[in-house]
Amino acid sequence: MLKNTSRIIGLVGICLLISCKESTKEVQPLPQEPLKEELADGDYPYQRLSTYGFFEGEMKELQPSSSILPYEPASSLFTDYALKSRFIAIPASEKVKIQEGDFLFPTGTILIKNFYYPTDFNKPEENKKIIETRLLIHSEKGWEAFPYIWNEEQTDAVLKVVGGEKEVKFIHENGEEQVINYLIPNKNQCKTCHNSSEQLAPIGVKIKHLNHEMKIGQKIQNQLTYWKEKGVLEGFDGPDNHPSLVNYADETQALSDRAMAYLDINCSHCHQSEGPASTSGLFLQFDQKDPMKLGVMKTPVAAGNGAGAFDYDIVPGKADESIITYRMNSTEVGIAMPELGRTTIHQEGVALIREWINSMDK
Amino acid sequence: MNHSIQLPILALFLILAACSSRSNEQTFDSSKLPRATETQVEKLVEDFILVEDGGTITIEPLFYDLKTQLILDNKKNIKIIGAGMDQSVLSFRNLKTGGEGVKIVGENILLENFSVEDAPGDGIKSQHTDGITFRKLNVTWTNGDKSKNGTYAIYPVQCKNVVIDGCIASHSKDAGIYVGQSENIIVKNSLAFGNVAGIEIENCDNAEVFDNVARDNSGGILVFNLPGLPKSDGRGTKIYNNEIIDNNHENFATPLGDGPNGNTVTMIPPGSGIILLAAKEVEIFNNKIHRNKTTGLAIASYQITGFPSEAPNWSPYSHDIYIHDNSYKRTLKIPDLTRELGQLISVYNAHGKAKTQDIIYDGIWDTEISDNIETNPMRICLQEEGMDKLHFTMFYLMDGEDNIKSFKDYDPFQGCNVNVSTDVSNLASL
Repeated sequence: MLKNTSRIIGLVGICLLISCKESTKEVQPLPQEPLKEELADGDYPYQRLSTYGFFEGEMKELQPSSSILPYEPASSLFTDYALKSRFIAIPASEKVKIQEGDFLFPTGTILIKNFYYPTDFNKPEENKKIIETRLLIHSEKGWEAFPYIWNEEQTDAVLKVVGGEKEVKFIHENGEEQVINYLIPNKNQCKTCHNSSEQLAPIGVKIKHLNHEMKIGQKIQNQLTYWKEKGVLEGFDGPDNHPSLVNYADETQALSDRAMAYLDINCSHCHQSEGPASTSGLFLQFDQKDPMKLGVMKTPVAAGNGAGAFDYDIVPGKADESIITYRMNSTEVGIAMPELGRTTIHQEGVALIREWINSMDK
Repeated sequence: MNHSIQLPILALFLILAACSSRSNEQTFDSSKLPRATETQVEKLVEDFILVEDGGTITIEPLFYDLKTQLILDNKKNIKIIGAGMDQSVLSFRNLKTGGEGVKIVGENILLENFSVEDAPGDGIKSQHTDGITFRKLNVTWTNGDKSKNGTYAIYPVQCKNVVIDGCIASHSKDAGIYVGQSENIIVKNSLAFGNVAGIEIENCDNAEVFDNVARDNSGGILVFNLPGLPKSDGRGTKIYNNEIIDNNHENFATPLGDGPNGNTVTMIPPGSGIILLAAKEVEIFNNKIHRNKTTGLAIASYQITGFPSEAPNWSPYSHDIYIHDNSYKRTLKIPDLTRELGQLISVYNAHGKAKTQDIIYDGIWDTEISDNIETNPMRICLQEEGMDKLHFTMFYLMDGEDNIKSFKDYDPFQGCNVNVSTDVSNLASL
């Protein structure tokens, strides 16, 4: 007891000394605290991306170690033209299962998404600058999202729950220079999109988005078949027995399939009955057949400035009078859709949806 | 229509539109508050992310210049407390992405004693929250050009057990206080001014709106049911002991000169006290409905918007409406001519052109229930004292624009009995 008391007095003494010392000097802004060394002890999240050991060799090359698999959805969610490299880490000796048409991931699964820009989009694999890496970690409590921001030296990335912003310069495919003020979401903003019935949920990692062929090593192969062969997927009955979306950028596909694939990957995470935009009654999954839910001659509800001068989400045959294209074609916060994840207009996406609406029977 | 006729009419409308008032009134000046440092701002963002169930987030008496959203995600029993609405101010003027300034999802959440300014979309939105109390909050926009303002100031949607108490909501482009697709709701002791709509209850069940002031909006208090929503039709609203006065503000939901768009709020004629649109089971009593230049109260069906009015599990008609013991005062101002409903009232009312009305009923009824409106098929019940002295107009619009008629006769709507029941007693203790 006495011992404890003296210890407390000692502590108070030290505090007093420190505060005396501090009062004699000018107040300085707090220096950035150096990160402590970190052990890969399985207690997620780590402060540093490197601690997970996802990549071999130089971090910035994003060369996957043998413990992670690359994946790619057929269509990509537009994020200011950022390129993405995606990987999944499935705990050793565990498997992803398919149940009632959905993936069921084992606890400890991590989805890894790296957002980067090449200096020149005509040489996408050269001079890459990685901005952020987002992890979705599947724990007993469900999924959690963690944004890591890369340092200037491109040697590592650090967990930053409050997000941030970064200026990015690159040369577009058309040769024009573009400057983007890239916004890294704060941790809770992730759920603005990654949300199903208020539980955090992956967007691209769904059977319908992954059930397609891609280049794996030297082979072109259905990536879910590959997962099955690797022994990490159970319940996959072959590509033809599961839904599959086209790549919206593939112009050999039917226009309506491309448009629905675009709306599904870019909008339906919110615009579905389990998503945050269920308030609007506008539901944009690829298999939506009800014209009103799809927005055809549907008035907005809480669109505010987003409605522009228009009455309906979609006016068949009239893309220029449709709220959907108006909002996709804006960068003004409060008007722009999606609300998050872009500060530029996705010209190709707008063109696709315009063409689709204009092709509808008036 | 040829242009030579259209132009003078347009010019006339613009001149008359200028008769609508405008307001940029602020409750206090936040620019004099000390500014939060970047570290203090970051700490607040972090507090919203890291707070644990049962915790309290404290907003210091500072002006916070936020560049990211404040989001509370699926937490229980959280208090978010400021030092007073004129002390703790969250400004979202520099927000670059995100649909609202503050977003709340969880269970049993209290927000108290702070202000939210200049959010590009909505001020404070709560969704999928059971138990949400907004108390002594001020949510506003400080832009001179009000067409740049955000949509809703205080915006609970898809919530249960909502209390809005002692709040101020001003200058929103849509509704200041908007409760949507929710159930069990109290809005009390609050002030809504300078908005397009002051207080709006939309697709909600079991709501009581009392002891509020709705002034200087385009429309004071609205009860709407819109088609095609997950919560398809709401019923059970009581509106009592409110002051609904001088709601003559221009409708700035679309830029001046632009007509209405698909947002129903853009059609509200300036000078509207209370508007019921496809509303079900509403009782309105003991309110002061004064000096609203177009009409004190409007009872309307959704067909009046001209939009498609069919949707599953939803009816476009207003029905089971009980209006009694309110006080009305008209004004000598010219009723609105900028919106179709305003033009209808100004030109076709039963008391003479350009006369303010106390109560109007669009007279659109469900012909499957009755082949004439004299049987009061939608159960609209008017029991105001001195009804003979009020300007009451019922329109006949069933034959379209070419055959509009109007009637002063209120007899079909007297001596009826409509029982509206609400119960918000379990909310009183929150």
